[in-house]
Amino acid sequence: MATLKPPTNTHRSSSSSSHSSGPPKAPLKADPTATIADTVVFQGRYLVTIGAGTVIHPRAKFYAYEGPIFVDDGCIICEKAVIGAPPTSSRSRSPSPSRPPSTSPTESGASTPEPRKEISTRISYFVTVGPLTTVEPGAHIHSSATIEALATIRRGADIGAHSKVCSGCEIAAGGSVAEWVVVYGQGPGMRRKRARGVKEMSPAVVAASQVAQAPLPGPAPAGKVIEDARLMVLQKEREVLGRMLVPAVGGRKK
Amino acid sequence: MSRPFPYTYISCPCADTPVPDPARKRRSRESPQKSPQKPPPERAITDRDKKLSAKEEEQGEDEDEEQTFDPRSPRSNFSLYPPEQLLYCEECHQIKCSRCITEEIVSWYCPSCLFETPSSMVRSDGNRCGRNCFNCPVCTSPLAVSTIENATGNGPQQGPWVLSCGYCLWTTLDIGIKFDKPTNIRSQLQKMTDSTPPAALDRSRQASRTFGDLKHPLSSYASIDEQSNARGCDPEQAAPKEDAGAPPMGTDARFAALKNFYRAQISETSNSPNDHLSSEFGFSSPGALNRLMSLYTSSSRLSGLYGGSKKPKSKPPVMREALTASEGLHVAPENNEKDIIARLQSPECGWDGMASVDQRATQSPDARFVDDLLPLPVLLRTKRAKRCKSCKHILVKPESKPQSTRFRIRLIALSYIPLPTLRPLAPSSSSALPAMAPTSDLNSLPPLRPIHILLTLKNHMFDPVRITLATPPVTPGRVATKVTVLSPQFEIGANSDVWDEALQGASAPLTSDSRSAALRGVPEAGKVWDKGRNWTTVVLEVVPGTLPGSSAEGGDGNPNTETNDEDVLAVAASRQDEDVLEIPVFVHMDWDADAQLDQQNVGKGSKPDDKVTRELAYWMVLGVGRIQPSL
Repeated sequence: MATLKPPTNTHRSSSSSSHSSGPPKAPLKADPTATIADTVVFQGRYLVTIGAGTVIHPRAKFYAYEGPIFVDDGCIICEKAVIGAPPTSSRSRSPSPSRPPSTSPTESGASTPEPRKEISTRISYFVTVGPLTTVEPGAHIHSSATIEALATIRRGADIGAHSKVCSGCEIAAGGSVAEWVVVYGQGPGMRRKRARGVKEMSPAVVAASQVAQAPLPGPAPAGKVIEDARLMVLQKEREVLGRMLVPAVGGRKK
Repeated sequence: MSRPFPYTYISCPCADTPVPDPARKRRSRESPQKSPQKPPPERAITDRDKKLSAKEEEQGEDEDEEQTFDPRSPRSNFSLYPPEQLLYCEECHQIKCSRCITEEIVSWYCPSCLFETPSSMVRSDGNRCGRNCFNCPVCTSPLAVSTIENATGNGPQQGPWVLSCGYCLWTTLDIGIKFDKPTNIRSQLQKMTDSTPPAALDRSRQASRTFGDLKHPLSSYASIDEQSNARGCDPEQAAPKEDAGAPPMGTDARFAALKNFYRAQISETSNSPNDHLSSEFGFSSPGALNRLMSLYTSSSRLSGLYGGSKKPKSKPPVMREALTASEGLHVAPENNEKDIIARLQSPECGWDGMASVDQRATQSPDARFVDDLLPLPVLLRTKRAKRCKSCKHILVKPESKPQSTRFRIRLIALSYIPLPTLRPLAPSSSSALPAMAPTSDLNSLPPLRPIHILLTLKNHMFDPVRITLATPPVTPGRVATKVTVLSPQFEIGANSDVWDEALQGASAPLTSDSRSAALRGVPEAGKVWDKGRNWTTVVLEVVPGTLPGSSAEGGDGNPNTETNDEDVLAVAASRQDEDVLEIPVFVHMDWDADAQLDQQNVGKGSKPDDKVTRELAYWMVLGVGRIQPSL
């Protein structure tokens, strides 16, 4: 926790860093309210955009070699998560250095599709990316989705809003997960649709009340309340984390 | 064998005992004082011991007991156990494996809430936790009880509750169920899904409460007339309930209804007053069998001797099947399958909406879709005590409390027999044997190259033990591996206080001498390799035999004479894992123990200071490695 710090000025430098001997440092445009740990790695030639209130835990890696990476507001990127692909593991398609990085940082909501060369990776609002996950370039994770630990999102996959990819599952390249769907199990996993609205009562209960000539129990609330509660908890978690870290960095004891 | 090399197995002697268990039980019941007339192991062992020490094992193999243990024989699969899995019976003075013990359940408990379930409740609860513990019907992970009022912000900890899965995010809202209280969820759910119709409910309650009262008037119909009367009024009873619009009962209610119906049928169709079929024992009682037998014999005698002149036999009443829904009849709905197929094809169901086979296995048989699944109460687990089968002595008894992992009694074999461990002796550069093969890889031992293996026996008893090891000079099977134990007789120190070793260490020339011998690295015949406080290491010299692979190719070419099926089978069976080098070793140990009550059984040479000599002998198998197919 102590290593988590709010972004320093060097992080916020939107100009491309000096081309030294090491790997190229990706230009970073982070919101001032984002919390980015010191040991987060930003590499590549394209822009990495971090939205407001996002928390990025130590040793997460951002490889922007094949296109820009957008992380919108309110996300949590956990330890050792890998967003993008390092140049060695990419399909030996090193980006041409002549091509300038997209220095025009658009708003976080708008997408800048550059269909020919750049493959932009996008993580929308309130997404939780677990530890040691891999999100390959071109993946698009919609808002309020959850990617659990050790999951793998392959190239060009599309994860719908309020979905969940459970730990260890893998979404194939170009695959898509619809909204409100849970992918669980192993490997490609099994899928399950989450309850969003008010579901009708279980047939066992209906039959029982018919037989017993008893009134049906009152209708249950919509499944959405569970998701609302989850998002509230996430919001609280981010707030508490921010409150814990800011005094520590400021040097004020309490 | 699945263990990595090198491994050791110990053979439970129960496989050699030809007496099956019930027979032994009977015999012991008849004459509990006399020991069964199987050959007393001690005598055989001492005979064997003498022979082994004289190295004339092959000549005197007349008895079965004297045969060399073959780790490859199919029988030995059932008697070889890793040492840590074995138990030891202090009454029988024998090693006990999992097949020579009986288990009895000490307590049932829920692994989730760790509450013990009384044994009277286990059956009625269906072996499942009767409290709040549930598993997710979709992914089987445990469900948590959580409130949903905090989400809507109405108040703290009030209002509806749900069960929710932390993994796949399933909640009871997915099936439209909420609970009013956070406790006793099982009974709440039961109340919701209990589809026993009110009338049937009453009847079943009555049946269960006044079981005997309900049945006895029915079973006491003495004659056919009364019975026919009874049957005549039966439809009238059933008629008012037979409304076609009655909704179908649930599975449990239908089962209860059918059970009641058939019980009534049995009591109705039994026509003799002294008939015991419908008594509380039912069909499975021994009286029922008696009655059936007498019925057959008497009727045959009647018809055979007296022809048809006897009084006309009444036609036995026939049991009928359930006719109405209240009796448990379930008629498949008319458009049921079409509805199901239409639902399958609808876009909101699809493949993901179908319940998988695993999910349906524990649900009601009607559950076809994910929406039909109900949360599953957690299955109970048991703690079990273990008894010796032959003497009923308790070997393992855990604490009955589920929270405790301790044992009151636990007689594991390793506290009585030395723990064998095996490791190859790394060849030193100054080795006197130039042909010594590097033993780095136990998975490919070169044939015909001698290797040295260190066998360490560690004593866990508080008495010093004298050990005699014996191996057949050539391992059984087609791969003839020569084995020599360089020092077959040795002693292991007692498992005394650890401080003893430290205190003796300064003034013990023996150990330092042996350590230097170990440093010298030359195994000598007749000398132990190394020795510690309660352990001793000896050297085995092993010359792996050649596999019959290359030579057996030619050997396989000409077995035209080998037409016997059993031989072919034997050859095929021996082919598998033939390259595994396993050495059978016979271990005989004796020690001077404190005399106990059963001195006359065990003690042979009584020592003056109240000590008796105990003996134990068993086979163990050393898995050394795999032999390379070629040089």
